[in-house]
Formats: sequence, C-alpha cells, structure tokens
Amino acid sequence: MSIEVKNLVKTFGSKRVIDDVSFKVEDGETLAVVGFSGSGKSTILKLICGLLTPDSGEIITSEGDIAMVFQYSALFDSLNVADNIAFALHERKEFRNKYTEKEIRNIVAEKLELVGLKGIERKFPSELSGGMQKRVSFARAIVTEPNSILYDEPTAGLDPISSTLIENYIVRLKEETHAASVVVTHQMSTITRTANKVLMLYDGKAVFEGTPEEMLRQDNEYTKQFVTASLEGPMHMLAEREEL
Amino acid sequence: MNGLRRYYRQSATYKIFSGVLSELNRFLETLGKISLDGIETAKFIIKGQIDKKELIEQCYRFGVTSLPITLSIVGMTSIIVASQVALEMVKQGGGNFVGLLMTILIVREVGVIMSGFAIISMIGSSLASEIATMRVTEQIDAIEVLKVNPIRYLFVPRVLSGIIMMPPVVALASAAGVIAGAVTANLTSELGYRAFFDSAWLGIYMKDLGVCMLKAVVFGAVIALISCSCGYSAKGGAKGVGEATTKAVVWSFVAIVIWDMFFAIAFFF
Repeated sequence: MSIEVKNLVKTFGSKRVIDDVSFKVEDGETLAVVGFSGSGKSTILKLICGLLTPDSGEIITSEGDIAMVFQYSALFDSLNVADNIAFALHERKEFRNKYTEKEIRNIVAEKLELVGLKGIERKFPSELSGGMQKRVSFARAIVTEPNSILYDEPTAGLDPISSTLIENYIVRLKEETHAASVVVTHQMSTITRTANKVLMLYDGKAVFEGTPEEMLRQDNEYTKQFVTASLEGPMHMLAEREEL
Repeated sequence: MNGLRRYYRQSATYKIFSGVLSELNRFLETLGKISLDGIETAKFIIKGQIDKKELIEQCYRFGVTSLPITLSIVGMTSIIVASQVALEMVKQGGGNFVGLLMTILIVREVGVIMSGFAIISMIGSSLASEIATMRVTEQIDAIEVLKVNPIRYLFVPRVLSGIIMMPPVVALASAAGVIAGAVTANLTSELGYRAFFDSAWLGIYMKDLGVCMLKAVVFGAVIALISCSCGYSAKGGAKGVGEATTKAVVWSFVAIVIWDMFFAIAFFF
C-alpha cells in the first residue's frame, strides 16, 4: 500500500514539466507536494493515477485502486450525490457482482456519514456548496477502498474554516483507510495539518524533501522563500522568468 | 541560405500552403479520432456491454425530446415544396402525380435528411456540449480514475440510442411530411386527398422504405458518434466547449450529406 516514484520525467512539447523526480510514500503516510503554479505538481498526480503516461521513470504502486480528489471536485452534474458516490460500484462488474443494491445504499450512507454529510443522498452537485462538493468527492474517492489517495489542491478556493474541516477529513481518511496519500497544495495550513513529508518542486525538479518541521525551519533557500512568501529568492514565477 | 529560407517563410505562397497543410492535418486527425472511437464503441456494443438504464434515458432524449422539432421541420419543408409544385402540376395536367412526387421526395430524401439536420441541431449539439463540459471539468478524468471506461459509459448508450431511435423518428417525420403535403396540395390546388394518396402509393416500393430506414440507422449512429467524439476531445474551458460543439455540428452536417450521396449512388444511380 505504498507509492514509489523513481526518476520520473514528463515533457509537454519542448517543456520538461517533471524532471527526474523520485519519492516514496509508505502506507498511512501523507506526502505534501508543494511549489509554484505550473511547477508540475498536478502532473505528478495525473502520472501516478494513470491519466498521463511518463516519458521515462517508474511508478510503483501496490495492487488495488488509486483514488483521486480533484481540485474542483469533478462530481457528475447529471447524477445525484448517492449515484455519484456509488458510480464505481454500479459501473464496475466486480462490485456489481459483489454488492446488492441495498448494500450499495448502505455503503453510500456510511461514506456520507464519514465525511459529515448524512442524509444528502438525493441532492444534486449544483445544490451543494464548494466545501460540501469536496466532501462528496472524498466519499466517492474512498468508496472502492483504495490503497492510495491523491488530493489535487483540496483546500483551494475554500474559506479558512472549510479548509480546516477538509484538512481534518484528510487526516481522518488516512486514519480510517491507512492509505498512502499525496496532497498537492499551496496552503501552509494543509501542509502542517495533514502531511508527514513535504516535497517541493520548482521548474519540474525536486528542490526540497523533508518533514513539515524541517520546511518551517527554512534551512533551504527554496523553502525559506516559499514559507515567507517572498519575491526575493531562487524561485521566479513563469511570467517573471520569461521577462528575465 | 538562411536568409532565403526566412524570405520564403514570409511569402504568401508558403503561408497559404502551410495553412492548407495544417488544416488537412487537423481534418485527418479528427477523422482518425472519430474512427477509433467508433471502433471502440462498436466493440462494446458487440460484446453487449451496455448500461440499460442509461440507454433508456438516452433513447428518450434522442427520440422523444427531438420529435416536436423533427416533425415541424419535415412538415414545414413539405408544405413549402407542395405549395410550390402542386398548383403548377395541376395546371399542366399532372395533378395525378402530385402525391407520387411528394411521397418519393419525402421518403427518399426530405424525411431522413431534414430529420438528420433537426437531430444534429438539437441532440448532436447537446451531446457534444455535455461531453465537452465533462471533459473540461475533469469529470471524464474522474470516470477514468474510478476505472470505468468512458467510451463504454458515455459513447455506447448515446450511439446505440441514435441507431435505435432515428428510424422511428424518421418514419413519423416522413408520415407527417406526406400528410402536410396532401393538406397543402388540397388547399393550394384543390387536389382531392383521394387523388393525392392514390398516386402516392404508386411511386413507393419496399426498397425505398428499406433504404430510408437504413439511412436513418446510419445517420443516427454517425450523428451520435461524431457529437460524442468531438465533445470527448475538447480542450480548455468554455471556449473549448463552444469549439467542440461547433465542430460536432459542422462535421455531422457534412458527414450525413456525404453518406446520403453514397446511398444515392449505391441504390438509385
């Protein structure tokens, strides 16, 4: 139940988005991948879950499902909350053969309770707030009991209290599922509350790997600039770099 | 040498040729993509991997919601044609052939092609924009991550609903067209209904009805497949959805006209 990435490389056109990145996340651990927008964070998640194919390198995951919580939830508009959560159970043969309709309903209710949204089965995604949509997407992600969970900016666009709630659910899901998790985020609170390890990317390369405490110590010039949100330092935004 | 190359690249000839080649490349890319999606969809249909609940929903959408517009368009086209020809034919002594002409026209061409156009504008555009929106909002990525094949989930019920529902839609629309033609001929030239329908049967053979239904099946599949495929390959945000929808409509229009030409050559040449 772990994720191991070895010397990963991904290029889009002439741009090398991921450049020789390696890391390992053990089961029950959470790795926060941080960095500027466009530094290749979300690409790493898409490579791990198979939405993209790497140019070279290796991704080793244990047998079983990899779940992903998308940045904007990616709930199916045309399905209600219950059908969204039960989507894989209805559509995949192994689950259709395994569970009856009543059992699927019970699983949906149980997952909804886990994310604190009991009794909203019949609502449609458009009737929910951003935070609620995110929690429904958590429930949908864990319905197949995955070995690994990937979160793409889970707290982006949420108010501080909703962010804390989501962070608490990330920790709770880790405790409940004991899955290896990777969280892509910009938010310091998400890093400190949810992660055991931090990987910082800049220009597709890993520039820091350590614990959140080590990151906060600011021994590394990259983490120092990131934590202090300074314009001075080795990292420049893409537009700025093009001007230089 | 480099200067010459730079000069050549700035010339109108180079720009025109590179533009044409780039368009040709995009055309072939789209054609290849649609064909591959079609093959994969056909594989699932042959294997019987069909979501019946979704299929019923899509059949309702394709067949029932499109009926008002399809019947209106075929009916009105028939009224336009009958009002132009009925009186003239009666004046020239060809009153006995008005029904025959109208029925051949509607059963062989107008019914199916105008229904196709109506279905493209109503259902094809909605299929393309729906799937394109799912693509740009990462819903299709979510389907893949949940280990469900998007082609099986999205394409199969939609394409199959096109194949199943297009023939009855065309049959009803053609019937509406013939009736509208009879009423119009009666109102404009006082041609009796009996005279109209007596001649109507003379020009119609089983082959015409068979070809009409075969065309309907092909058009239904082609419209649904192109619409799904164009939506599926959408990129970007709202602009990408708009572009995918436009592409689906244009490609579907052109495709059914080309198929119609093949049918005309194969069966009536």
